[in-house]
Amino acid sequence: MNLFFERDLRLSRRKFFGKTAQGIGALALMSLLSEEGYAQTASQGMPGLPGVPHFAPKAKRVVVLWQGGAPSQIDLFDYKPDLAKHYLEELPESVRQGKRLSTMTSGQKSFPILGAINPFRQYGQSQMWLSEMIPHIGSIADDICLVKSMHTEAVNHAPGVTFFLTGSQIPGRPSFGAWAVYGLGSLTRDLPAFVVMTSADRQKSCGQLFYDYYWGSGFIPSKYQGVRFRSEGEPVLYLDNPPGMSPELRRSLLNDIDKLDQKRYQDFGDPEIETRIAQYEMAFKMQTSVPELLDISKEPANILEMYGPDVQRKGSYAHNCLIARRLLERGVRFVQLMHAGWDQHLNLSTQLAIQCQDTDQPSAALVKDLKQRGMLDDTIVLWAGEFGRTVFVQGDINKPNGHGRDHFGDAYSLWIAGGGFKGGTVFGETDDFCYSVTKDPVGVHDMQATLLNQLGIDHKRLTYKYQGRDFRLTDVAGEVVREIVG
Amino acid sequence: MVSGQVVLGMRLRSPLVCSLSLGLMALGIFVRGDGGAEPQVDFARDVQPLFKAHCLPCHSADEANGKLVLASYKSVMQGGRHGPVVIPGKSSQSLLVARILGQGGQERMPLGFAPLTDAQIRTIRDWIDQGAHGSAPGAGSETHWAYIKPTKPPVPVLNSSWIKTPVDAFVLSKLRSEKLSPAPEADRTTLIRRLSLDLTGLPPSPAEVDAFWADRSPNAYGKVVDRLLASPHFGERMALPWLDAARYADSNGFQQDGDNNQWVWRDWVVKAFNGDLPYDQFVVDQLAGDLLPNPTLDELVATGFNRNHMLNGEGGAIPEEQRNVICFDRVDVTSTTLLGLTMACCRCHDHKYDPFTQKDYYSLMAFFNNVPESGVPSGDGQYRIADPWIYAGSSEQMTRLKALKAVAASTSSRLDRLRQSAPFESALRAWKTEVEESAQEAKRAKLVYSPWKVSKEFRGASFDAAFKDSFAPETEKEPTGVVRPKLTDGQVHELTGDNTAFYFGRTVDSDKTCRLLFSFGSDDGIKVWFNGELIVSHKVTRGAAPDEELATVELHPGTNRLLIKVVNGGGIGGWYFRANGSRFQDSVLALVSKSSLSPEELERLRNAFLDDSPPSGWREAKAQAEAATDAVKKFEALLPRAMVMSDGQPRTTHVLSRGNYEAPLDEVHPRTPTVLPPEPKGVPANRLGLAQWIVSPDNPLTARVEVNRVWQMLFGTGLVKTSENFGVQGEPPSHPELLDWLAVDFREKGWDVKRLVKMIVMSSTYRQSSQCTPELRERDPENRLLARGARFRLSSFFIRDVALASSGLLNTKVGGKPVYPYQPKDIWDSLSITEERDFSYPQSKGADLYRRSLYTFWRRTVAPGNMFDAASRQVCTVRPVTTSTPMHALTTLNDVTWVEAGRVLAQHVMKDAGPTPERRLAEAFRRVCARRPGADELKILVEAFTRSYQTYKAHPDQALAYLSVGDSPRDANLDPAEYAAYASVCLAIYNLDEAMTRE
Repeated sequence: MNLFFERDLRLSRRKFFGKTAQGIGALALMSLLSEEGYAQTASQGMPGLPGVPHFAPKAKRVVVLWQGGAPSQIDLFDYKPDLAKHYLEELPESVRQGKRLSTMTSGQKSFPILGAINPFRQYGQSQMWLSEMIPHIGSIADDICLVKSMHTEAVNHAPGVTFFLTGSQIPGRPSFGAWAVYGLGSLTRDLPAFVVMTSADRQKSCGQLFYDYYWGSGFIPSKYQGVRFRSEGEPVLYLDNPPGMSPELRRSLLNDIDKLDQKRYQDFGDPEIETRIAQYEMAFKMQTSVPELLDISKEPANILEMYGPDVQRKGSYAHNCLIARRLLERGVRFVQLMHAGWDQHLNLSTQLAIQCQDTDQPSAALVKDLKQRGMLDDTIVLWAGEFGRTVFVQGDINKPNGHGRDHFGDAYSLWIAGGGFKGGTVFGETDDFCYSVTKDPVGVHDMQATLLNQLGIDHKRLTYKYQGRDFRLTDVAGEVVREIVG
Repeated sequence: MVSGQVVLGMRLRSPLVCSLSLGLMALGIFVRGDGGAEPQVDFARDVQPLFKAHCLPCHSADEANGKLVLASYKSVMQGGRHGPVVIPGKSSQSLLVARILGQGGQERMPLGFAPLTDAQIRTIRDWIDQGAHGSAPGAGSETHWAYIKPTKPPVPVLNSSWIKTPVDAFVLSKLRSEKLSPAPEADRTTLIRRLSLDLTGLPPSPAEVDAFWADRSPNAYGKVVDRLLASPHFGERMALPWLDAARYADSNGFQQDGDNNQWVWRDWVVKAFNGDLPYDQFVVDQLAGDLLPNPTLDELVATGFNRNHMLNGEGGAIPEEQRNVICFDRVDVTSTTLLGLTMACCRCHDHKYDPFTQKDYYSLMAFFNNVPESGVPSGDGQYRIADPWIYAGSSEQMTRLKALKAVAASTSSRLDRLRQSAPFESALRAWKTEVEESAQEAKRAKLVYSPWKVSKEFRGASFDAAFKDSFAPETEKEPTGVVRPKLTDGQVHELTGDNTAFYFGRTVDSDKTCRLLFSFGSDDGIKVWFNGELIVSHKVTRGAAPDEELATVELHPGTNRLLIKVVNGGGIGGWYFRANGSRFQDSVLALVSKSSLSPEELERLRNAFLDDSPPSGWREAKAQAEAATDAVKKFEALLPRAMVMSDGQPRTTHVLSRGNYEAPLDEVHPRTPTVLPPEPKGVPANRLGLAQWIVSPDNPLTARVEVNRVWQMLFGTGLVKTSENFGVQGEPPSHPELLDWLAVDFREKGWDVKRLVKMIVMSSTYRQSSQCTPELRERDPENRLLARGARFRLSSFFIRDVALASSGLLNTKVGGKPVYPYQPKDIWDSLSITEERDFSYPQSKGADLYRRSLYTFWRRTVAPGNMFDAASRQVCTVRPVTTSTPMHALTTLNDVTWVEAGRVLAQHVMKDAGPTPERRLAEAFRRVCARRPGADELKILVEAFTRSYQTYKAHPDQALAYLSVGDSPRDANLDPAEYAAYASVCLAIYNLDEAMTRE
């Protein structure tokens, strides 16, 4: 039995005959429905704002590959071969300039310099310098735009992540994904518009936690918040029918609920009732579409191979990357993968390599996979952490598991692929010690403005009035970095 | 003709004008009519607010797209790049109008926002067509309405039996001006359900519905109101929005997300509403209870209002930065919740729209800047709270604590007397000689310390395991490892490695027996063996320092073995060792040989003496005193520690450049915003003064903001829709006179909240049916004119409470520690990465599963999964936002909470409601929705039951599975198939729109 078909038939019949019988003028009905989006819901999911996109978009979708804990730009991206000459020399005061440090190293008496712990080499036609530790990302060098001149205000994880993903260090604002969905609406009615998945490094060495507000909706309606897909238990909270409730029985009971709600609607004419009826129907559809989405058994072997051996392990970064592609294919607007693993204060010499193993191949595979499906052009892939790490050593260099690098936000790196970003380019420069940006600084708000720009959104005009103020993702700052987009 | 008043009898000439005037009304713009002439549009009053709300983001002095600035009359008339945009008298030739209509092939303004409504465009066109005049001086008030103290307007005198309270007179007056009539009164069932949900958040029982119908006295309705106002659940219901505003939560909200005990404050709020604490006192206690003369425990606990902020205890967090964030939060919560002001804008610059300056903001912050706090929480494990705090037990507990403290005080004063008594003094003199001799004895012994041998490191599965596990060096006879001659004694040596054990061993050769005192320090845990005997064992997390552990050892002639184990939990670790020159600390020896001692030195010497060789009676007296102190501490450990306010650490406050704590500008002093009336004479320049100013009769905002919030609670929308913002950018009130009348009356009648609630719910306005004609819905979709009753979805807190109450599962206990009802078992898995504490969800057992949702533990980093659309409790929220998503549907369809409630409801109706499906399902429906289902509705329910019953009869295993959901026992006497079928239909009833809606 096709449980959807039965319901759709009835829905269209009712839409045809039922509504006009209410005596509501068609015009008024349109406006009432567009309030909560029922009219659009029936065809394509949640509507966006009128007038958005503001201009022709380069990208329709976003996937954020969040590298929680903050990867070391010195070891992976910001190539400074001369640092080796200064091995364990004291970082000059003239370079440090009293920059703010976390309290984990601000009291340190000595700041010995440590260059990249592994060699770099050039990749691709663009001859991009990247660490040998990330050969797979190297293999997509011509597709990525490497920004080496990022800077952020935060010195600690939660404020740093909150800042990058919501535009403010203090929790309470809508997240990037919530803004995108609020502005652009949904591309599908079978799945949430904004999906989040989390993973941790295989040894769980990194204490970085992920909070709801990293994908929250802040003060805009909660329907825009990210829906977390979980690797254990039900993939979406409350997705499964209770034990002993078969899909067929659920279907028939939903039909009964629908009949009773329809009656209520006839008595009260409140469009909220119509909306609720539609949401119940979507819920039922999600019960089928989500398991189908998460079932990777039909993925061809060559695809699974691309993502690496971890892809079969639920909850791994590799698995999530593959699911991300499946989500994007099915019209999910915004996918946010949160990976914890890079907070290498004291275990740089051991964990950095493990983190590269965890993330290098799957990150590159996702970009390649999207590309071979023709989806990379209109999908933004953002690979970023909350900040970078210090060029100087934290802890005792003589201990393999006793040294690393502290948080550092004044100059760090990230990369973006697809969505109109210029592949094979490197943007921005830092000083000889990766300690200050010397050319083309890009602040977090600038990056947000640029990402929104590629979605066809003028970041200054995607606003939500709250407490008398028009809030936006970029707060009161942000300039689109034109140089890195086509 | 009086400007600013609705004039009755305005002639509505066409449907277009009708909808125009409605649009204006919804905007709160008061239309002047004079018997047919066009309403005169005023620039400052009618047009400028439209520009401010819709155009300034791109057409302000800062932005000026197209060189057009729409901030002032002058700049509007000046035009932009393309010349003038307004041609007076000719709206159709004005560029401004062409652009907002999107004519001429150009994109429609405002770009990227919803187009202006027809009514708004009409206002602008009328203004242009009427000559595009500037406002006459004095036309439109200079000062924004909300900043002017309200006066009590006369209650409109209307001849109508509909008017039951003054509320109705204002509402009816407006309805008549709109040529509308109120809806009829809702039926009694609807009314009692509405009242019960609005005043207690719980549905009426069928018996309560019947009793109301049966009561034919004229005051039957009032009796129901009074009963509900007296219910302890009234306070719980009223507390809920207040908790949202005060961003109340049971944890701090960042890494480690430590729990707090702020539920004590939550209980205070419930108690305050139930005891009808006057609102002014409610405010003063919460802002400044600690500054009242001889504050009571309740008054101290109340100040938790400003301590419900988030607390960032991340490693590396900069305390002063966090402390400033907390102070900002206090300003925001206080100004939004109590004054309806949006001061946050002024953190970085003067307010763009409202007359507040950055200096005003920091002057307000100065009130909150004297708290003795670091900015980060302290403690480890489950609870992490920040100074200042107090023990806040029940009154019985506090009495007991007082008694225990009295015993402790008397035993310790006895100890003080004893130590200074004559026999003790002479014993002290004898002991001093002994100390000197001991030093001589040690000096005579020839001691040889080997260098330290350092073994390899051992990483444990956890800190506990690393401390507990016995690694190789512990079993070895002789110290092993690498010889490290450079490890000198008497200084701290650093260690690195998480959850790692380090061993340091050495030998001490002696030629004779002698006793020595060894000093140790460790980061973190430490164990010490001397000659194979464990002499120190302390599992602790701390930094390493001298003398953290002391142990007297007796060296025997020959070789003695010393082994130290240090276990580092995380980050940098360290250790310390030093041998004293005798069995006393070297510092004691120094005191003994000193000829004259300061009183403080004498005390130290006495302590050393009493520790070492106390005269008889001392140990007993000391044990007694320690036991008494211990009893106090043990008892205190059971008590909740509530964070409170204090002005214990005066600080200088500065304006901070763009809110940056590292960039102070001018110094400021505590002061309220200058545009508002000054503080009353004689109030102190501290939080108490601020509180007294907030509740002073001259404050134009406080009473309006509170009555508006109560209105919002009862009608879904406030008279001022933007209940969080009464400023220039907020929406003007739909019924300004009613708002002012209620505000002044509220203040004049002693800030009595129950009276205010009663005044509103007794009105005919409140009692209207929420059914309405399509015409009315089209005309007033948001029901701002109040020509019908309000209809809105319940908060998810109440949706759950309704399920619990109607099924009979509800545990009605009021107050106490938060509980842990059903949640998906891995709800906190994102936190469980940390090894510092167990983050598995500690689901409650038994009756605690069924407490009201108010008492559900609220973790700030991961909110309860089934409390959808709830405020995040991270920042202040005063206006709930209700949405409808498939996730909500999945929650109420599949969460064990609702499935179990459906089963228990089924169980009740099967036993109590008679033999037929009709009677049973009618009763179930009634318990949830209060009314009896109509015949057609009942037919649908019975058919549903029949189908479900057939399914379960065919699949008995499924029936049993379905009946197994939830902890409460299933009634084994009921036929499983029938039982499961009823349970499934009851779950469907809980998922009806009506069940979740307050009609």
